[in-house]
Amino acid sequence: MEESTGSSVRSHCVGSTTVIYASDYLNKLSGEKIERECKRQLDLGCRALVIDFGNTELVNSIGISILLGIIDIAEKNGAQVVFSDVNRQTVELFEMLGLTRHVVLARDEHEALSTLAGIRTSVAAIGS
Amino acid sequence: MSPDSSENKARRIVGRVSRSEFVGRGVEIQRLIAHPFQKEGPRGLLLMLAPAAGVSELLRQAYDHLFNHRGNIVPIYFALNQTESTPVSAAIDFLNTFLRHYVAYRRNEPSLCEASLTLNDLAQLAPPTDFEWIDKLVGAYNRERFSNDDQALVRFCLSAPQRAPRRLERPFLIVDGVRLAQQPDQAMSFTLELVRALTGSNLPFALAGLRRHIREALHRLNVDFDSIATLKLGKLSEADGSRLIEHVAERHQVGISEETRDLLAQQLECSPFFITSIFQAAREKNSSLTTYRDCEQLYVDDLMGGHIHRLFSSILESIVPGAETRRALVRVLYEAAVADNRRFSFETWRKQLHLEPDQFEKIVRGLHIQEYVNWDGGTIEAGVSRGPWRDYLKIRYRLEILAEPRALIVGDTIAAFLKRAPGTMARHYRRVASLALRDIVSKFDGQRVPGSLLHYDEFKSQYRGSSVEEIHAGLDAETELIRLPQVIHLAGCAAYNPELEQVCDEDRCLVAHAFERAIYTDANEVVWLVAELESKLEVDLDLTQVWWRRLDQIARDSGFGRICIWLVSNEGFSDEASQFLKERKACTSSRQQVAFLTERLEEKPISGLASTADEFVMVLPMGEDNELIAANAAEQIARKLDFQPEAINQIKTAVVEACINAAEHSLSPDRKIYQRFRVESDRLVITISSRGIVPANIEAQNGEPGTPTSDNLAAATGRRGWGLKLIRTLMDEVEFERVDDGTSLRMTKYVRNSSSGAH
Repeated sequence: MEESTGSSVRSHCVGSTTVIYASDYLNKLSGEKIERECKRQLDLGCRALVIDFGNTELVNSIGISILLGIIDIAEKNGAQVVFSDVNRQTVELFEMLGLTRHVVLARDEHEALSTLAGIRTSVAAIGS
Repeated sequence: MSPDSSENKARRIVGRVSRSEFVGRGVEIQRLIAHPFQKEGPRGLLLMLAPAAGVSELLRQAYDHLFNHRGNIVPIYFALNQTESTPVSAAIDFLNTFLRHYVAYRRNEPSLCEASLTLNDLAQLAPPTDFEWIDKLVGAYNRERFSNDDQALVRFCLSAPQRAPRRLERPFLIVDGVRLAQQPDQAMSFTLELVRALTGSNLPFALAGLRRHIREALHRLNVDFDSIATLKLGKLSEADGSRLIEHVAERHQVGISEETRDLLAQQLECSPFFITSIFQAAREKNSSLTTYRDCEQLYVDDLMGGHIHRLFSSILESIVPGAETRRALVRVLYEAAVADNRRFSFETWRKQLHLEPDQFEKIVRGLHIQEYVNWDGGTIEAGVSRGPWRDYLKIRYRLEILAEPRALIVGDTIAAFLKRAPGTMARHYRRVASLALRDIVSKFDGQRVPGSLLHYDEFKSQYRGSSVEEIHAGLDAETELIRLPQVIHLAGCAAYNPELEQVCDEDRCLVAHAFERAIYTDANEVVWLVAELESKLEVDLDLTQVWWRRLDQIARDSGFGRICIWLVSNEGFSDEASQFLKERKACTSSRQQVAFLTERLEEKPISGLASTADEFVMVLPMGEDNELIAANAAEQIARKLDFQPEAINQIKTAVVEACINAAEHSLSPDRKIYQRFRVESDRLVITISSRGIVPANIEAQNGEPGTPTSDNLAAATGRRGWGLKLIRTLMDEVEFERVDDGTSLRMTKYVRNSSSGAH
């Protein structure tokens, strides 16, 4: 497992999946840091992203718009995105703004990684 | 006698009545008395009078209070004496009055105030500590007097208060300048010198005068209005007018009845001068005023040759010194006042009077100052002043122009006044019983009220037979709300069409220029035409149509664009009438509906950051994640109201979004976000404001809130611009309040207990 805080965003890689930890307030600045880290990891060959919101208490609409941008970038790179440990209020906001249509929600990081492993297994089975 | 004994405090010095006999103007006298003691704020206080509103006794009472108070303010009361007809003589009188009142105060000898004393006498009477400067002042005056420079002498005299040594006691000049308006030519030059001296000194002062006269003087001198506070003095209220009549009648030992008291209050327009004049005349003639006949006989007598006659005659003489021109003016004024169209061009009148433009301009200016006409520089509107002036003018017209026998005029006029008295009282009674539509309309101010209050048929079908409590509950539950406009100008319909005077009292038919949602655009401009109809039963279709046509005609004649007609009657409108008005999108209300409406119209709080006891106010600089500070403050306040955690989070998010919007879209010049959190028993009201640009589509953003869904949210333009939509979803009520600069977003969240689970 490789851990990084190079761009002030804590992240670590589990195989080809990168787990990125959002801060307590997801706004423009912290959103852009996550975005930069996601791009960096995708450029390094990452095939899936888990963004963990376990520490996040509050998100604003600018932060959410950046998350939508991340989802777009991941899709273009053929990468999966899972949001984990999102609190109930934030889930409601994501639902209001349509994020949940494009992203899988997981209870925690472990479930996120399991979900991604399951997806990859299914994809591999379809391909074989 | 000790200076602060109760006997000392009640001494009457220049007041004409004792303090206990002085009626009305309680607020004004307190303001006047407090003015010289203010440590900060404007030095000057202007008392702007409506004609005949009466101010002299108010000033005298304030003087007496300050004199008896024996504080560190030396009151000086100066009223222009009508015998001092030149600026020089008026200025010398000012100097003499100043020294007399100064010395009287310093010696605590009230009798000196009204004594006839020379300047040399006053120097001799000055207390030892004042002798030197007063003696010097008198010496300098004696030299100035022979300098042949009138203006220098006037200025010297008017500057005397500033020559008093600076010590604890400061002079406070109380100047009664009402009579300054009676001699436009010479008095204006004295007025200008006086205003210049007062405003240019560092002493506190109060200057009373006719509002148009004072305003003109200030503008001509380009006076800094920040250095002057103003106090508007209109007519006395009817209650105070009646009380004044009772006091004056008692003082002069003239018998009255309740009926004559009320008639005199109406006929004399509650003017202290006219009231005092009539009772002086009654005392002189040893008459009582217990019947209408007594009153009208004495009133006509006074108009023909008494105090009231002398007042109006002297004013006319001061405006038009030449007898022939004055006679011609009386003709023009009266004929214009009774004409169908009372508006005339400056040139029309000038030619009728055969005067040069500058001569005529002086006359019109004088008439305008006295409010006998309205003059806007081009058009002259006659007949604007009523009451005793109109009565006097008619009598004078008949005497001078029609040359009718005096006895005929007296007899005719008494008869006419007796015949009109019941009508005068009926108007008074109607006014007392009227719905105060003017107050109601002026309180609209963009507020939302239950729709049924403005639609009689709906109100009737929903609430007929219901108790007051049931109606209140029903109104509370109504979801169809009407947003009333913000009224920016309100006038009686007669101001637009004088013919309406014949069919309706001034306050029962109104034209209100307004803007919907208080947004100042063409699209939002609307004129409300409001009339209170008289009927003991539901108003029928015929009367409704008559009033509809009247108001519609005013709108057409005045070129109003969009209009809204609101008809009000005691018992509402018949089904046919309601249908007729509904088809024309008019509003209708009964007296009962208006009563409920009045209860629901709140006085808007004073804007700014002043907060009430249950409000929290915070100002944050934009940027640096400062919206989190606001969100945390909102959280703490919301906890006090027992909001559920989920609701608290919604409030926080809404606050964050509102702050972001303010920071992103306003181009705010001060880069500040103003926040107000108002705690009510069942809700938290948060207002986030910022200065700067008003969003172009703010009106659309204030649309009635629908139910946002994820579909319409996500479909919002691009990935930004979601803030307001999110706020609408998270909060219960969201509304842009109108502010002159920038935006102000009010968000309300209601407390719901956990069992309702609405959050």
